[in-house]
Amino acid sequence: MLKEKIERHLLEVQKPSRYIGGEVGSIIKDKSKIDVRFAFCFPDTYDIGMSHLGMKILYSLTNECENYWCERCFAPSEDFEKIMRENDIPLYALESLDPIKDFDFIGFTMQYELSYTNVLNMLDLAGIPIYARDRTNELTQIVVAGGPCVCNPEPLADFFDLFIMGEGEEVNLELMDLYTEMKKQGASRKEFLQRACQIEGIYVPEFYRFSYKPDGTVEKVENTNNAPAVVKKRIIKDFDKVYYPDDFVVPFTEIVHDRVSVEVLRGCLRGCRFCQAGFIYRPFREKKSGTIIDETKALCENTGYDEVSLASLSTSDHSEISPILSELIEYTSEEKITLSLPSLRVDNFSEELLEKIKRVRKSGLTFAPEGGTQRLRDVINKNVSDDEIMNTCRIAFEGGYSSVKLYFMMGLPTETDEDIVGIAELAQRIIDLFYSLENRPKGRGVQISISCATFVPKPFTPFQFEPQDTREMIEHKQKLLLDSVNKKRVKVSYHDADVSILEAVLAKGDRRLCDVIYTAWKKGCKFDSWGEHFRFDKWVEAFEECGIDPSFYANRRIEYDEILPWEHLDYYVSKEFFVRENKTAHESVTTPHCRLKCSGCGVNRKIGGKCFD
Amino acid sequence: MIKLRAVFEKKDRAKYISHLDLNRCMLRTFRRSGLPIWYTEGFHSHPYFSFALALSLGYESNCEILDFNLNEEIPFDEVRDRLNAVMPYGMRIISVGEPKLKITKIAKAEYSFSLKSDNIDGLVNDVERLLQSESILVEKKTKKGIQQVDIKPFIEITSVSLWDGKYNMSMRLPAGTQVNYNPALFFEALRNSSGIPFETAEIRRTGIFSENNEIFL
Repeated sequence: MLKEKIERHLLEVQKPSRYIGGEVGSIIKDKSKIDVRFAFCFPDTYDIGMSHLGMKILYSLTNECENYWCERCFAPSEDFEKIMRENDIPLYALESLDPIKDFDFIGFTMQYELSYTNVLNMLDLAGIPIYARDRTNELTQIVVAGGPCVCNPEPLADFFDLFIMGEGEEVNLELMDLYTEMKKQGASRKEFLQRACQIEGIYVPEFYRFSYKPDGTVEKVENTNNAPAVVKKRIIKDFDKVYYPDDFVVPFTEIVHDRVSVEVLRGCLRGCRFCQAGFIYRPFREKKSGTIIDETKALCENTGYDEVSLASLSTSDHSEISPILSELIEYTSEEKITLSLPSLRVDNFSEELLEKIKRVRKSGLTFAPEGGTQRLRDVINKNVSDDEIMNTCRIAFEGGYSSVKLYFMMGLPTETDEDIVGIAELAQRIIDLFYSLENRPKGRGVQISISCATFVPKPFTPFQFEPQDTREMIEHKQKLLLDSVNKKRVKVSYHDADVSILEAVLAKGDRRLCDVIYTAWKKGCKFDSWGEHFRFDKWVEAFEECGIDPSFYANRRIEYDEILPWEHLDYYVSKEFFVRENKTAHESVTTPHCRLKCSGCGVNRKIGGKCFD
Repeated sequence: MIKLRAVFEKKDRAKYISHLDLNRCMLRTFRRSGLPIWYTEGFHSHPYFSFALALSLGYESNCEILDFNLNEEIPFDEVRDRLNAVMPYGMRIISVGEPKLKITKIAKAEYSFSLKSDNIDGLVNDVERLLQSESILVEKKTKKGIQQVDIKPFIEITSVSLWDGKYNMSMRLPAGTQVNYNPALFFEALRNSSGIPFETAEIRRTGIFSENNEIFL
């Protein structure tokens, strides 16, 4: 039995409880009564994967069906991977401790581009052929993927049998129902894929043929096997009624987000032009306050967590956020639960809201102005003004805060040195503001942390057409920022430029990148998102060996009429809208958020009605 | 405030819960049970949980001691049952009662384990020779650094048997807030003295005792 083999080596590794399951809330079933076994794989370590809300939702949802069994699987850390390889322990699922190669579905959630090599490594550890074309024609071992990255799945196309576009709550079960039916009929993998691609939201990459022009751009995408020419993503229409778990798996070891999280809304109404999540999760839908309160209570009671957070792209945009917080604060303080609120926006951060947060915690404040000057913030449609930032900081300082964390992006379209210096100037104005206040916190100086990411152009955003800054440009801007800030009061951190370049290539790439990813993995690349594992030199070798120029994908401006590698995928927001928004951006003109005025992104036509009443 | 003491077992997959994680795990278990947990007064109000003896990662036990406080008087059996209804797999409360002895009265703990080897007879000989030797010197990490200690005078063998090709032993070792020896020290000494490779398995704490060999409750 695999369990004995695992246990023989478990004490040789860091945090062994990550590899043996048995957590409260994990679901054990009698496998003799199961029709479909689904291995839900997160292509990173347990500590990270277990924090992922989507997995918690789909895990519970699938296991509600008596005859389906969804289990969890994560990438082992280096120490345990070595043991697994040396002792022939195949990658296994945490509930049954059975090898995932024997499962019906092996499903990955693709949350970030730098986890792609981990998928290959996990398939290899599992003993599953890495390229889809090398798998048997039997109906078993269907390798699937969902999550935000699959909005452009082409760089992964060769490794997956199918992709699930959009929200999984309904389509996952439809897919498993079809599988159950066809398995009973003795159908083959090919026959299953031919039927599966008729389900809305299912994209079977092998049924689409790409051809390229001499200049390297896409010439056309042909659909075969009666697969739809355009694949539409799935959405949940009645978001208030959508399934939400009343229980989570509660890990023993500490994970990144070790708390109850309750999803309060989906989609975003803001339209920041760099933000992929802001467009691919449209339309904006809210849960009713009663639903949110009930789900919070059920989860806290069933898991025993003493911390809860509200999850969404922009929680303070919920139309009933104030009453929700009042009620939650009443419940959580009674039950000695900590309430934490991430992703608050600067512009609707009111004194009332701050007062409420202050009652529950007094840690740092985090804002994301993203751009250092008003001009640049208008370009990216981050509708936050200098006055608002100053006003919010004033409220925060007067309320006892003395440290502020600011998130910025570097390398944004139209950005000049002036915008970079603007970041330092903004920080300085905040410092000056602090010392100008009579009732500032006494005995402490002000501390500003600036965290600077590098802009990565992403598919399905108005900036999908934009080139990324080259490494030289990014490094110049990083140095300029460091030279401009007040070093006593401001701490600057920024991302490695190479990481962002690779992200851009993988995000906007096409099918020709599959072999690059494979080659890079063969050279030892994995855990690319972990600084200590990232080997850009190996990636450069892989690009060279495959004859692929990364700057073609990262640093080239894409013409509006060019066929994009993701053009046959429909995420409800139209290309015309992205073109319009891109032009508006270059005029430094903002677009109001959806509640103020519909900007005609195209979503309402797809859902057959208005997004807001 | 009602002071209570639970005896619990930690077996199977639960043996990989580290001591640090166990505290968090117990807090969540109590919260799930809905029992009226007593919280400390003060700025950082938190519940009171105290484990009498830390258990090494990978060891099983059927005698772990947990002290905790409740706000209301609730029948012992009910407390036990409500906790067991929401315990993680591999953990179970055996009994709940009033604490009888102070934690400082803990003097010894008993462990059972199996030794496995391809040359089991040779290994048995080596174990016997080691136990008969004048001293058993091992290096022990203490707060002052690595110290050499002689564990020979402290080892009390309570049972040995050769069964199913495995050498099964039970031994009592000093335990408590002052000195704490664990069977890993014995394994290390055996490894240093014997040329025969062996594996350890099924290491389990089977009892916690006071100075006069009474079961600690």
